Amino acid sequence: MAGAAVPELEAVGIVKRYGALIANDHVDLVVARGEIHGIMGENGAGKSTLMSILYGLQKPDEGRVLLRGAQVHFRSAVDAIAEGMGMVHQAFKLFNSFSVWENIVYGAEPRRGAFIDRRAARRNVAELSERHRLGVDPDAIVGRLSVGVRQRVEILKALYRDARLLILDEPTAVLTPLERDGLFAVMRHLAGEGRTILFVTHKLHEVMAITDRVTVLRDGRVTEQVKTSETDARAIVRAMTGRSVNLTVAKGPARLGATLLEAIDLTISAAGGKPLVDNVALRVRAGEIVGLAGVAGNGQSELVEALVGLRPLDGGKVRVGGVDVSGADVATRRAAGIAYIPEDRASVGSALPASAADNLAMSFHRAFPLARRGLIDASAIAARARALIARFGVKITSESAPVGSLSGGNLQKVVVARELSHEAPALIAEQPTRGVDVGAIEFIHAELIAERDAGRAILLVSSELSEILALSDRILVMYEGRILADLLRERADEETLGLLMAGRAPEAA
Amino acid sequence: MSAASRPEDAAARRWRPPSAAIAILFAALVGGVLVFASGANPFDAYAQIFLGALAFDNWPNTLNWATPLVGMTLVAAIPLRGGMVNLGGDGQLVIGALVAAIIPVYLPGPGPLVAIAALGAAAIAAGLYAALAAWGETRHGVPMLISSLLLSYPAVGVASYIVRFPLRDATTGLPQTALVPEGARLMNLSGPLNIGLLIIASITLLVLFVDRRTVAGYELRMRGINRRFAGYGGVRLDAQAMRVMFVSGAIAGLVGAIIVLGSQFRFIDDALLTPSYTWSGLMAALLANGEPAGAILAGLFFAALQTGGFAMQREIAVPRVLTMVLQSIVILFLAMRHGAGKATR
Repeated sequence: MAGAAVPELEAVGIVKRYGALIANDHVDLVVARGEIHGIMGENGAGKSTLMSILYGLQKPDEGRVLLRGAQVHFRSAVDAIAEGMGMVHQAFKLFNSFSVWENIVYGAEPRRGAFIDRRAARRNVAELSERHRLGVDPDAIVGRLSVGVRQRVEILKALYRDARLLILDEPTAVLTPLERDGLFAVMRHLAGEGRTILFVTHKLHEVMAITDRVTVLRDGRVTEQVKTSETDARAIVRAMTGRSVNLTVAKGPARLGATLLEAIDLTISAAGGKPLVDNVALRVRAGEIVGLAGVAGNGQSELVEALVGLRPLDGGKVRVGGVDVSGADVATRRAAGIAYIPEDRASVGSALPASAADNLAMSFHRAFPLARRGLIDASAIAARARALIARFGVKITSESAPVGSLSGGNLQKVVVARELSHEAPALIAEQPTRGVDVGAIEFIHAELIAERDAGRAILLVSSELSEILALSDRILVMYEGRILADLLRERADEETLGLLMAGRAPEAA
Repeated sequence: MSAASRPEDAAARRWRPPSAAIAILFAALVGGVLVFASGANPFDAYAQIFLGALAFDNWPNTLNWATPLVGMTLVAAIPLRGGMVNLGGDGQLVIGALVAAIIPVYLPGPGPLVAIAALGAAAIAAGLYAALAAWGETRHGVPMLISSLLLSYPAVGVASYIVRFPLRDATTGLPQTALVPEGARLMNLSGPLNIGLLIIASITLLVLFVDRRTVAGYELRMRGINRRFAGYGGVRLDAQAMRVMFVSGAIAGLVGAIIVLGSQFRFIDDALLTPSYTWSGLMAALLANGEPAGAILAGLFFAALQTGGFAMQREIAVPRVLTMVLQSIVILFLAMRHGAGKATR
């Protein structure tokens, strides 16, 4: 058969830029007919951009898309649908107050004269649902259905238009495990009919469980494209999060002191779903770096926000230096002894149009020597900024220059300089070296080790395994809102962590 | 590092020419065309505006107009400095004016003390009313942009009712309160000018000082640049919003009180809102994106423009609405260049 040789879908050299950011950097993708093809990658790796390009929602800056061997130029999703494509978005596109059949036939209604042939429409939908064993009642009102069933309505919508290629964008993110298993059965059935499925996810075990082939994206590039049966979880985790730089940091044994940062049964619930952070307990003692590993999006950011006071707790306690700060605001917690290097240096960690002096003054600005009785001492702020710029080697023209002009690494040094200069007992460093150059990485790592040796308690949150392994004395792995494991550094290696990050307990305890 | 650093480099490279100057020039051109189309000489019109505002004899008029307008500019600029918008200036102005008109009529005591009490009470009442909008946002999630504006209407309506019925001055047929006793009126300086000018001038200096030299000013500035950064750094955003709105409303209340105690001597329904100080002030604040010195200059500029507009209307019969058109074009032009979201971020 000639059809078997020609891929169902092929993308060649796709490039998409948003300003200076390259969301897709020469992405190649080959999807064979009838296969379930996993698209893996962390948040921001470029999965969604690639899918919107394939589906005609966005135009690539470079590159071609071929459908069944012929190049296509979709002007919109309407063209893609006409060519037999269907997409189920993360946020469903349904009319909640309409019935299932109305939603499904919308835009392609069977007509009798000028009117919708309601009976035919209903019957078609019922037949379709039965044939694909989706078990959806055509007369149900969509708004009253569970999330899992609504997703099936979306799939039916695509099938009603005879989609031969289905894109499912993170379909399992909203599902319970049972619903997920149901979805997988539907996916297998559809693939068995010769339909092709692009399955976008960042959950490793799902890819291992259901896909035939998998393409891994990182920072907009394809880092892996293999048959699922020929790879393993560890290789995929490395392709998702790995970094080629070899990290070696010299550090002595930890000298542990009192517990300075503690979370007890910390819970953050999500509206109508499983909690984002589920009964997490963690303790960080003076003189140690505790690494919090995990694929991004498993509750780490929410946990950190709850620790520093940017997000209210739904349950549990936070203690800093033994003091309960569960209900306290950011200022109180900072005063109690938390410093915090946030994940997003540009939109949380700094004020880009403001000067380095103003940036470095933040949260020191109320007290002596920068302020006295409510008045700011501008020369003290400038002097302090000059000292920090010199000590941390920030490359900036002067302390009055805006930090928005700095490179990523230098901006990060400003943030790190400010937070470390608190000399706070507890430090939370969230993705402290993301997107910075190698020199800055080494510098920041050395500073973190120095802080540890000075007796601070450091919680290091990172999705870079190499960073976790290089710096941590103890490693926690977070998965779907829970702490799945608590390992001493000596007990951890890439393989164990990779499996844990994928949600699997290590085989030999 | 290459990809991560580029957007920040780009932000620094995007230096803009002083866009306010360009906007004013552009507005003058469009306005000139309008005047020309209506059959008058644009150069005459602009000459009259200029002379009417800035000829030495006309300074008191311009300053008299600038007093409430610059006051209302501060009302808008202070929240805007922190990325907040107070659209309720009208209501706050009216509350202040009404309180200031009532207290001297009913509170016995030496005139100057009564005046001070009236000014203070007006500021506090209007400030509390403005803080209500902030409370609605921080506690109940009603955007302040909406709540501040919506709260304005009941204030204006209730004030209107009060002067039409319970507190109406029965000796005249008009919807206005009784005259404030002479002792409680603001001291006259010269011509139309009274001590209210000095009050607003000192508040202006105080605002500049707070903005540049105090912890509160620093925190508000940082909030305006990046709200999340301020929150992350420990600025108590909710309490700050309440305080800022209280101060903003209190200044509006003072402006209302100064108009009542300084020039009208009673609360006259609608008299405070007709000149639309609130909206001119808001435009001046937007022109400077909340930066107080720039906003004050813009407020003075608008005051001069409007005073000149009266002269132009008097001398060559070009309607003074032209000056409002000029003002609007200036703002529209700036909004086009910066993108509407930038000013309120």
